Amino acid sequence: MSSFPVFDPASPQAEAIRDLFVQVLFISGGVFSIVAGLICIALFRFRSKDKLPTQDFGSHRKEMAWIVAPVIVVLWIAAISAKLILTFNAVPQAHPPGEQVADLIVTGHQWWWEIEYAGTDIISANELHIPTGKRLRVQLSSADVIHSFWVARLARKMDAIPGRENFIWLQADEPGVYQGRCAEFCGTQHAWMNFLVHAHDPDEYEEWLSNEKVVPPPPVEPSAIAGRKTFLSLTCSQCHAIAGTGADRSIAPDLTHLASRSELAAGVLSNTPENLRSWLKNPAAFKPGCKMPDFKLTDQQLDDLVAFLETLR
Amino acid sequence: MSDSERLASDGVTNADGTKIADGADQRSASSGRLLSWVSTVDHKKIGILYICTAVFFLAIGGLEALLIRVQLLFPNNNFLSPDLFNQMFTMHGTTMVFLVGMPVLVGFQNYFVPLMIGARDVAFPRLNAMSYWLLPFGGILLYFSFMTGKAPDAGWFSYAPLSTKPYNLMPAQDYWIIGLICLGIGSVAASINIFVTVLQCRAPGMSLQRVPLFVWMSLMTAILTILALPALNSALAMLLIDRLLGAAFFEPARGGSAVLWQHYFWVFGHPEVYILILPAFGMISEVIPVFSRKPIYGYAFVAGSSAVIVLLSYGVWAHHMFAVGLGMGADMFFAVGTLLIALPTGLKVFNWTATMWGGSIRLTTAMMFAVAFLLEFVIGGLTGVMFAAVPIDWQLTDTYFVVGHFHYVLIGGTVFGLFSATYYWFPKITGRMLSERLGKWQLWLWVFGLNATFLSQHVLGVMGMPRRVYTYADNPGWMALNAFAGAGAVAMAVGTLVLLLNIWVSLRRGEKAGDNPWEAFTLEWATTSPPPPENFALIPQVASRRPVWDLDHPDAADAGKELTPADSGWRPDKSVTSVWAFVASEAVFFLLLLVAYVVFNTDLVGEITSASLLDVTRTAVFSVALLGSSFTLWKAEAFLKSGKFAQFRFWLALTITLGAVFIGGQAIEYYGLITSDVTISDNLFTATFFTVTGFHGLHVVVGLIALSIVFVLAMKQDRNVLHGSALKAIGIYWHFVDVVWIAVFCIIYLGFMQ
Amino acid sequence: MIELISDKELWNWWSPVWLVAAVVALLYGRYAGWTSLSKTLWLISGLSVLVFAFVSPLGVLADGFLFSAHMIQHLLVLLVVPLCVVLSCPPAAAGTMHSVANEAGSLGQKVRAVITSPFAAWLLGLGAMWFWHVPAFCSAATENYMIGIVRTGTFLAAGVLFWCPVYSPFKQDRLPASSAVVYLFSACLGCTLLGIYITFTTITVCPAFASPQERLAIMVALHDAGMTASVDQQVGGLLMWVPPCSLYVAAIVSVLCRWYAVAEPGELGWSVSQTAEIR
Repeated sequence: MSSFPVFDPASPQAEAIRDLFVQVLFISGGVFSIVAGLICIALFRFRSKDKLPTQDFGSHRKEMAWIVAPVIVVLWIAAISAKLILTFNAVPQAHPPGEQVADLIVTGHQWWWEIEYAGTDIISANELHIPTGKRLRVQLSSADVIHSFWVARLARKMDAIPGRENFIWLQADEPGVYQGRCAEFCGTQHAWMNFLVHAHDPDEYEEWLSNEKVVPPPPVEPSAIAGRKTFLSLTCSQCHAIAGTGADRSIAPDLTHLASRSELAAGVLSNTPENLRSWLKNPAAFKPGCKMPDFKLTDQQLDDLVAFLETLR
Repeated sequence: MSDSERLASDGVTNADGTKIADGADQRSASSGRLLSWVSTVDHKKIGILYICTAVFFLAIGGLEALLIRVQLLFPNNNFLSPDLFNQMFTMHGTTMVFLVGMPVLVGFQNYFVPLMIGARDVAFPRLNAMSYWLLPFGGILLYFSFMTGKAPDAGWFSYAPLSTKPYNLMPAQDYWIIGLICLGIGSVAASINIFVTVLQCRAPGMSLQRVPLFVWMSLMTAILTILALPALNSALAMLLIDRLLGAAFFEPARGGSAVLWQHYFWVFGHPEVYILILPAFGMISEVIPVFSRKPIYGYAFVAGSSAVIVLLSYGVWAHHMFAVGLGMGADMFFAVGTLLIALPTGLKVFNWTATMWGGSIRLTTAMMFAVAFLLEFVIGGLTGVMFAAVPIDWQLTDTYFVVGHFHYVLIGGTVFGLFSATYYWFPKITGRMLSERLGKWQLWLWVFGLNATFLSQHVLGVMGMPRRVYTYADNPGWMALNAFAGAGAVAMAVGTLVLLLNIWVSLRRGEKAGDNPWEAFTLEWATTSPPPPENFALIPQVASRRPVWDLDHPDAADAGKELTPADSGWRPDKSVTSVWAFVASEAVFFLLLLVAYVVFNTDLVGEITSASLLDVTRTAVFSVALLGSSFTLWKAEAFLKSGKFAQFRFWLALTITLGAVFIGGQAIEYYGLITSDVTISDNLFTATFFTVTGFHGLHVVVGLIALSIVFVLAMKQDRNVLHGSALKAIGIYWHFVDVVWIAVFCIIYLGFMQ
Repeated sequence: MIELISDKELWNWWSPVWLVAAVVALLYGRYAGWTSLSKTLWLISGLSVLVFAFVSPLGVLADGFLFSAHMIQHLLVLLVVPLCVVLSCPPAAAGTMHSVANEAGSLGQKVRAVITSPFAAWLLGLGAMWFWHVPAFCSAATENYMIGIVRTGTFLAAGVLFWCPVYSPFKQDRLPASSAVVYLFSACLGCTLLGIYITFTTITVCPAFASPQERLAIMVALHDAGMTASVDQQVGGLLMWVPPCSLYVAAIVSVLCRWYAVAEPGELGWSVSQTAEIR
């Protein structure tokens, strides 16, 4: 992960924005140096003296001459940003017939992201997988309050707003993992609404896709079988879905391939069996205010559930 | 001989010279000093009350900021719970904008605008007291929410639907709304007062083109407030109706719009930024010339560019919404608008620099804060220009970069301007000088603190830290930068304590100031320090932009050298002007409610719509009654003017009757709807219908009460009614209410624009 | 829907607007005379803009093809051309008009008083703008040639009346600065409202543009670049909003300049004597 994602772009769009930003930074630096320089010179040259200074009321000509430079700077910045807006904001909302509305449908929830791969049955949470080198159309919406979808190295930021569909382009040039965050304040756990974008080479992506399409086989280990039973008998299945178990609610993240993800609870914990166990034991300890209740599970239930969930690869 | 005495020898008195401190003030002199502060209507005392209240809330808001910084010192810190953290930043933002920034600026305006224009008080001293007392009232309401178990926690701009009932069950949000409505009403009243004061109470010879720049900026701020606050009020009213009466203006799940709240909030919110910065522009436009011993360079450009800022500031609100996805057309136009508004600001920076150029600069603390203002504000302005380049905004909005940006504007700009003004004007307010040594300590603490805190935040933004997160993972560099930001916050807090210490020491044994310790130029320095209750023994006569300079430098006097437009001597009527300002404010309020109606009813289909529910013919008949009342009131005014009091009373009574008939009609309509189970929470038509017509009805009722009072007074042969402008003022309001009804009738009943 | 590619040229060289321009130029020469260079330049630019608005591709696209082009044409005709005409008018010519009105008797004077009152001018200026954007009228004027001419005529006339209170050649006919600022700012507000409405409404403001009978070749390219009917209307709304408001703000700046520049000759002596009095 990069320390300065804005300066370390990995897509044509992010790169163009970076170039614009760097240029405007230099322009601003120049303007600041000139103004600060003039003020410093004035401070050093015109210190208090006994003689009354000339009472100068101003000059229309000098004002006009001075304003020319800012006008040019401002027009230039307007022109270069307009060019970028036209290049990257033009996500046709009226999609051509025969094509999908979008490649990815992302829905913000308090406080996790639901990801639907259009044209497949795949629904996932908090992790996007995309092939490199392909420009994908992403549809953004929200199930509750306003969120904002932001992967600094790959794309512009765009709000996910309830009752409204927004579209952006998402593209990654190099394979890798890219950090995404929710940028719009969305309530108690706004801080933990991160997500990851995994970019794969196209053939690797196909591999991932075919794995994701397979429903994980029913568990065989006794402890995992018990865990599956626990999952279905407690109220877990009132919110979560796991393909092949009959649990199909979409109030909380889809867990079908939970074990293959690298993070838990939208970025709070890395996904290890130990972390999963502590998370299940008391979610509020890691993510206070989150919507998942503390079920006061016994140690046995916890072990079983973890064993079961770890089979969901 | 002091300046005031010299001015007194001029022998010219204001026509309004009798209006000195109110009776209440003299009465209270015997009932203790504390009571004299509570009951005062003196603009200077009210100004000090405003400033002290703001300092009190500054302490609270600052404490909240420190708590936020402590929580963010380490990754995964548990110092504050996430909910408490959200309450802290919400209250910090709300407090700093509404309870510190606006009040302290209004306080300085209250104290100095009348002094600088050579008036004895503001135009409406009692209204002034009311405006002030709404401030502690609103502040206490806001903070009372802590007693309900939780303070507001939806952020200072309370984006819907996070602020609506389904996502925010606690009553805290209602306290926030009602508190802000109180503060909003207080601000509008204070601004109308300043507006009328500047237009009406200027000393003879002081044309509007000759007022000190602080006064001009106050006038511009007043206009901004009068026209911008009602946008917030209408949004707040709609949100409150959503929360308490079950409507769904801002609930997308029931057809409302989350984006509409953002539009309304920022239609207020962007001018608000200029409400906070323009007075600071005014302050340093006073300080820099005085300490450079030169007049301001290009007065007309500094003043005129502020007028341009006022006009443009209403057209750039959507630059807060570039991440909303408004479409490329809207993005580009708002970007250009935002870039344009940088030009008048840039022009001012040139003028301030040019004022110092060739001057004789005295680096007092006041001047050093003004110079610090110039440098830091330019940084804030330039990062603002970056955000106007839309793609940069797409990356950096809602990160710590934007937090850093607006704190540079508000601290580097507003707060440094205020500190500069404090050191400049404190001798005038108290009669004692502040210590320059402590002042310089404060300056450097603040300069270090500001840059440490907010430069770090700029970097954090580029590193990807979103704003308003209560904690963060242990990413490389984040902790160090947050710790540095925390150190800066502590420096600013210590700097504030140094200022308080400085004030305390100065009040006890500060050096005596004299009338004009800085050899300054404007009229407040022509009276004693502190000024007497009635400000000036005799109202001075003005012939240039720097009247006190002219007195001190007869050989180099401005008068005759710099040609400025003469004063025609004409002053508008106080009541009529204030009612026009009020009507303009109300017009914006109704305009936004009607826009909401059009937005929500354009596509509305189903059973509950205007076409299926409303009896247009019956309402048309009652509308004729209301419109007729405008005609009868006009007749009444005409008879009053020609002194035919009997006819005047008859036509006035007829007006009241017609108004009452209209209200009766509306009552019948409401009764019919409510008995057939049509309520405000049914759908967006009923919500908008009841809101618009309800608020209009309320205005009619208020008008009826006012007219009835006039009628009763007319029966008692009251001088003010029979010979003053009271009826004319109420008449303007009454005609306005009728005009609003014409728009309401056309849009709701006749279905225009659908 | 079958879309025909129109065989219209992009330049409409044979527009009758030439005739209008010629007549105006002749009248100007007859009554005002080519006395001052700056005034003449104003007239020439006004007429050039007028001709440009109808002869260039802008005029052709505005004729039922592209809503945003129509909006630009509309702004030129309602705001820019009349502004140039008013600025080109020398006081002498205005004097002639006044005397003509006076000769026409009391009725003429009354009519003159009403249409030159700022209130009426404001209503006419804004009214023309709003009226011709009621969907039915907008479509009718686009599809029917004669109604289109009426629209252009009303635009020009309303525009001239609108600018008179601010830039009238007769100084005493002008509004005082503060009123002029309110006059222009409220007009700006009117434009803003209409602009916002056109930009954000889901209604098709001018149906004639949304489903044209035929298309120009250039429009296919524009459509492919993302200029769909709804984007077209959005851009049109923004054009209705931002450029006129910028023009009004520029006018306000010029009023402010005028206001600060009033330094009457008599004042110098007045100031000195006042200062002496304070001494």
